[in-house]
Amino acid sequence: MKKFPLGSWLIIFVGFTYFFLPLIGTLDFSLRILKDQITLDAYANVINAPRFQNTFTYSFTMALWTIAACTLLVAPTAYWVHLKLPHLRPIIEFITLLTFVVPAILLVFGLIRIYSRPPLSLMESEIGSDFLLVMGYVSLTLPFMYRAVDNGLRAIDVRTLTEAAQSLGAGWRTILFSVIFPNLRAALLSGAFLTFATVIGEFTIATFLARPAFGPYMANLGQTRPYESTALTMISLALTWISIGMIQLLGRGAQGQIAGTR
Amino acid sequence: MSFLELYNVRKTFGQTDAVRAFNLQVERGEFISFLGPSGCGKTTTLRMIAGFELPTSGKISLNGNDITYKPPQKRNTGMVFQSYALFPNMTVADNIGFGLKIAGEPKSAIQKRVDEMLALIKMNQFGHRYPYQLSGGQQQRVALARAIAIRPQVLLLDEPLSALDAKIRVSLRQEIRSIQQKLGITTIYVTHDQEEALSLSDRVVVMNDGRIEQVGTPFEIYNFPTTEFTAQFVGTLNTIQATVRDAALGALIVANQEITTSQKLEGLQNGDAHSIAIRPERISFAADGKKPNVLNVRIETITFLGSIVRIQVSAGENIFYMDTFNNPFLSLPKIGDLVEVTFSKEAVLVLKNE
Repeated sequence: MKKFPLGSWLIIFVGFTYFFLPLIGTLDFSLRILKDQITLDAYANVINAPRFQNTFTYSFTMALWTIAACTLLVAPTAYWVHLKLPHLRPIIEFITLLTFVVPAILLVFGLIRIYSRPPLSLMESEIGSDFLLVMGYVSLTLPFMYRAVDNGLRAIDVRTLTEAAQSLGAGWRTILFSVIFPNLRAALLSGAFLTFATVIGEFTIATFLARPAFGPYMANLGQTRPYESTALTMISLALTWISIGMIQLLGRGAQGQIAGTR
Repeated sequence: MSFLELYNVRKTFGQTDAVRAFNLQVERGEFISFLGPSGCGKTTTLRMIAGFELPTSGKISLNGNDITYKPPQKRNTGMVFQSYALFPNMTVADNIGFGLKIAGEPKSAIQKRVDEMLALIKMNQFGHRYPYQLSGGQQQRVALARAIAIRPQVLLLDEPLSALDAKIRVSLRQEIRSIQQKLGITTIYVTHDQEEALSLSDRVVVMNDGRIEQVGTPFEIYNFPTTEFTAQFVGTLNTIQATVRDAALGALIVANQEITTSQKLEGLQNGDAHSIAIRPERISFAADGKKPNVLNVRIETITFLGSIVRIQVSAGENIFYMDTFNNPFLSLPKIGDLVEVTFSKEAVLVLKNE
């Protein structure tokens, strides 16, 4: 058996310490709401708090809407670019990456400036504000969803599958919903979980649009109740890890399903 | 009027002519192969028949209907791709039934047709499997069944065997031919493999640089190529430099030795230099007795190719090959020996200048 060198062990130890020590510290802190006692009281307080339930449900719902809107925007666009406009792929990629360049604060002020006055006074109603929030989230999560879908499309022979379906009499709707989307299942789910993980704890856009979201609640709690706030951080982290785990699980399941000569 | 007709079809991509002035008439039930090297326009022509590319000019008609600008989903042409293109999310049965489902056929009719198709490709037990659970050859048979299931007017095959290994290629091509003959389906087959084209087709369309070089039966294409390209591309061909001695008699000089051809030396004058071509299998060792064409040559190399032995010989500056069938009692000269070889007048092909 090959010997694992000491240097490698050292790197693993440093990496583990760097990444996990703060987490262990946070976890430990979240369990010490009572003096000299390890307890889950902070978690119970958080979960039983009505505001937690309300904000979490609200953010969860917004995340679902964001996933739906983002999927409907990105999947057909990426498909069409792959099929008909492959030369535009770098431009589309650049556009989707703009989110990383434009800070969320600029985005939300732009939204407020445009949509808080006539003719598009969306912010005057709850639904309008929610709509703006979802659109803001769509911009924010565009790179994640686009990357996931783009990778999925690269893994299948989009053009030939489309042509095969066309030669069998299929129109565009059938091609998209019966052939392309089912074969992008893993990619779409991966994009959806990344979107979910981003949206569920998002702070800036929700705060400035004054929406009752989970992110602002977490920040607010951190200023007043440190133990509950730490417990909330751990819950949020667990949700993110579950999302990433689901991506891995579903991604692995779809691996062997690509047939053909590619 | 023929079943499938292409009139003066032309396709350009930017400044490049992919297909130029393509004219072809295909009869119902015929098996036609487009044969040519990569980039000769054969796949583009097939894609225009399928509707995936629109001609820049010209007309395509199928069964008397102009289909030039008809969308692919309305042409009723079955297509088989090199990469199989089975839908990975569907079982074999669902793949085969896909076109019928779109056509709105009842479930019982779809099931019956799927069973028929599975029996046709001898894969009755594979209906529930997914494409990734099949070998390449099996996937391509399913793709063929899927294309045939919709009862297409024309079956189009785009290099369907290129991705398969040699043995499966041979067995599957026989299967394709037998299915095609059984169903009497008009078929266009694109390939760069001359053996495939010659063994499968009723007629072969040899293409080069976007245009048709020659259309003919496999026998005509192989034995009577009309252009140097066809002669060179189909089979092995020796090109030999000759000088016209007597154009009227078909007499030529090769390495100071006279030979004759049965073909007319049209447009050539006595003393002109011109290339002639002879297939290696038409040349043999000269036994005693007078032969029409005898050349004194030197043996250069001898190569065993299994069932045949290929011998490289030289006559003056010309180096060419002759093939002879291998057998355990074959007596061959040695390298460097001077021998006489012979060939008939008909074997000497005078090719058109390109």
